[in-house]
Amino acid sequence: MSDTPTTFQALILALQNYWSRQGCALLQPYDMEVGAGTFHPATFLRAIGPEPWRAAYVQPSRRPTDGRYGENPNRLQHYYQLQVVLKPSPLDIQELYLGSLRELGIDPLVHDIRFVEDNWESPTLGAWGLGWEIWLNGMEISQFTYFQQVGGLESRPVTGELTYGLERIAMYLQEVASIFDLVWTEGPDGPLSYRDVYHQNEVEMSAYNFEHADIDSLLQWFDTCERESNRLIEAGLPLPAYEMVLKASHTFNLLDARNAISVTERQRYILRVRTLSRQVAESYYAAREKLGFPMLADKGSSA
Amino acid sequence: MMASRDLLIEIGTEELPPKALQRMRDALQASLDKLLNENHLEHGSSQAYAAPRRLAVLIRDVPEAQPDREVNKRGPALQAAFDADGKPTRPAEGFARSCGVSVSELQQIETDKGTWLAFTSMVAGQPAIEIIPGLLEKALKALPMPKRMRWGSSDIEFVRPIHWIVLLFGDAAVKASILGIDSDRYSRGHRFHHPHNIAISNPESYAETLQQTGKVIADMTQRRASIQAQVSEAGAALGGHAHIDPALLDEVNALVEWPVAISGGFDKRFLEVPAEALISSMQDHQKYFPVMDADGKLLPFFITIANISSSQPQQIRAGNERVIRARLEDAVFFWNQDRKQSLHSRAGQLDNMTFQKKLGSLGDKQRRISAIASHIAGELNIDVPQVQRAAALCKCDLVTSMVSEFTDLQGIMGRYYASHDGEDAAVATALDEQYQPRFAGDVLPSSGPGQALAIAERLDTLTGIFAIGQTPTGDKDPFGLRRSALGLLRILIEKQLDLDLTRLIDTAAQLLPAEVQAGAITQDLFSFMMERLRAYYLDAGYDNHIFAAVLARQPPQPLDFDQRIRAVRAFGELSEAESLAAANKRIRNILRKAETEIPASCQQELLQEPAEQALATAVSALQKTVEPLFQQRRYTEALRELAALQTPVDAFFDQVMVMADDKRLRDNRLALLNSLSRLFLQVADISLLQK
Repeated sequence: MSDTPTTFQALILALQNYWSRQGCALLQPYDMEVGAGTFHPATFLRAIGPEPWRAAYVQPSRRPTDGRYGENPNRLQHYYQLQVVLKPSPLDIQELYLGSLRELGIDPLVHDIRFVEDNWESPTLGAWGLGWEIWLNGMEISQFTYFQQVGGLESRPVTGELTYGLERIAMYLQEVASIFDLVWTEGPDGPLSYRDVYHQNEVEMSAYNFEHADIDSLLQWFDTCERESNRLIEAGLPLPAYEMVLKASHTFNLLDARNAISVTERQRYILRVRTLSRQVAESYYAAREKLGFPMLADKGSSA
Repeated sequence: MMASRDLLIEIGTEELPPKALQRMRDALQASLDKLLNENHLEHGSSQAYAAPRRLAVLIRDVPEAQPDREVNKRGPALQAAFDADGKPTRPAEGFARSCGVSVSELQQIETDKGTWLAFTSMVAGQPAIEIIPGLLEKALKALPMPKRMRWGSSDIEFVRPIHWIVLLFGDAAVKASILGIDSDRYSRGHRFHHPHNIAISNPESYAETLQQTGKVIADMTQRRASIQAQVSEAGAALGGHAHIDPALLDEVNALVEWPVAISGGFDKRFLEVPAEALISSMQDHQKYFPVMDADGKLLPFFITIANISSSQPQQIRAGNERVIRARLEDAVFFWNQDRKQSLHSRAGQLDNMTFQKKLGSLGDKQRRISAIASHIAGELNIDVPQVQRAAALCKCDLVTSMVSEFTDLQGIMGRYYASHDGEDAAVATALDEQYQPRFAGDVLPSSGPGQALAIAERLDTLTGIFAIGQTPTGDKDPFGLRRSALGLLRILIEKQLDLDLTRLIDTAAQLLPAEVQAGAITQDLFSFMMERLRAYYLDAGYDNHIFAAVLARQPPQPLDFDQRIRAVRAFGELSEAESLAAANKRIRNILRKAETEIPASCQQELLQEPAEQALATAVSALQKTVEPLFQQRRYTEALRELAALQTPVDAFFDQVMVMADDKRLRDNRLALLNSLSRLFLQVADISLLQK
């Protein structure tokens, strides 16, 4: 059992170290607005096709509708996920996950740790999987999913995805009741808090998301991204096409926060993004196939 | 007597879906029982186990081998088996070859359709140990699962990844490969208390070994009882009593292998929020058991069931207390936030929420409910302005934060928010009562406006969904129409509301959007509701014949139906009933076969035989007695009077020939029987009581 990390960054470092030891490539966040770590190409695209993959990374995640102007102790429109993907999912993946909790000083013989059924579906990514939320003394701290389908394609082999809600875990470890009271790190002038780092951002971004984002431009931008994505897929360029999907998806989330989309239209927008995701998935698979699936160790055997 | 052994099967998996656990356990047991029997392994009793990480079945006295058995094969017909010279044909030789003998060794069997070549052989039974792995794999593949999944690089599908399989036949481990796993005698204990292998020495010791060594209670019934006892005890220790919802108890039971109750508390200030909201938060989100005082008031405590015998239980308690605090803060936030806006001011938002694509928005639904409820209020003399006010508000709580978060609080929050807004108490009550009964056996709306709203809300859903053709099929009933129908019938019957169901349906159907007005749904929906009514009465212990006898008359008012069925049941207990049912059936058959126009009434002067004269006198006397009883729906008394007809009817059939040669006499007798039959039909078709 390791010592409990007492700062937000120590928590990230501990988890990164742990997963690095499990053979994961430590990647950096994707440099675009996304709603969750799953949208990072290191998860969504790498889950497609037969090639093996292990990666871990922190992903800043934006959920414009969750903004509370920095006034709610539990909700943010910008927060952090630590994402781990293991493909194919190893048989001891649950044990590996529990090992990461021990790394954080959480002893499963003291605390009540549970795997509670929670099946995951992303309508915009055309993806679903089965798994659990993980409870630590009644609090959800992680999401655990065996992908069964991604971008409309069967997952073969299956990718195991672990998503840690970093702020939640840190609040637990640091025993604070508000996200903003988290200690980010101990600086030369004393503790630097999550408030110091992000509070102003929450206030201003909430105002932007809910009040100032320009609806007309966003509507046009959504159409542009959709058109561009289609054009890039035709050009056989799935990676830039996927970036257009991410832009479209985030634009949709902003429009949602501005209440610019009615209930019935909402469904149609989701469907448009899903259609793009599926096309990207197919195009990406074809591109990897054309390259001969270079990361397959034994290209003779079927995956 | 064949030697036999006990068989143990355990499938070790990752955490299984709790709501499907018991169903999977029972299905595995049933499927193994059946497969063993089909494969000539007739066995003793079986017992099934299930916990989050395992499904197991213990089957006693499974024979070590199948019995040897005779197998009869039939070949070609005799005339096709030999040619004109008496030599075997090719089909005959082929058949002999397939049996591994020569044609001369074949037998012949004679049937009423001819003679055939045949061969009887003894097949030696196979050892059970060789058959069982294949049967197990078959049972596992056919197990009903909510969703199947794959894992790793494997193509095997199961409800969750499989980690081990125990297969014991007596003391012997059966080693086989099943769904990619090598079976053996090794189980595993609790995920944290005993993650290592545990050797099971024999099937009978399974549950005991897991409990003693592994800290796993494998028996669901035993585990459930333990949880219930621990929760009750913890509730008492907190100075109250635990509120144990059976469905929550089942779910919690499926989430733990080693249940340990842990109590915690929260700040009293949260008790300002309606108790229902706090209870939903505890039960739905956290799977906690709330605690009440002697008056049924919520106390600031909760009980959770941990899956660990922790070395520091205070840590689990502290952690859970922090989680519930954050949850309850949310509830307080919703409660405060929602009350800033009146219910009535939210009505406009309902137009932006879809009820069902073809049936329009929630606002449309609310307006239809209002029209139906006003109509009902008029018929039942309920205060119309109150009903209209309640109807105007009836869906407004659906757009509050609290109900968005806890959908099962619909109506309940409506009541709280309406009271807060200063609405009439009757209006507030009606908002809650519109959803009663919420589940089987729940209370019914007690106030007039509540009843009008509850009936209207269900009628609109039933007619609307029928009109768009989404009627329930099999287990698919996404709009809960069966429950709606039953709730509606219960209100009409048990609250003694004398409403005509067919007219209610017509009223509701006319309000639907013009594009979905299919027109002819009344009969279909009425029939659907009558089937629910059948379930209702069978459940209450009524015989299906009694139900059918009343249904044959199709009384459109469920209350009238109820009065009739009670009368018919009472009638059925009379000594005269059986013979009168038979007589009625006989009369029905005679009338059906009669090819003449039956006169409206019988004529005194044509009655010749004393028995028919006596019957006619009895019938006409009774007509006068029972007519007013029917008018007042005093069916039980009416049928008791009609029971007196048994003697004259029996005498009539004994002594009178109905189908007389003289047409006039014949028609007159038919008319007499018809008038008798019509007397009974005023209540029910008594002829259907005959079993």
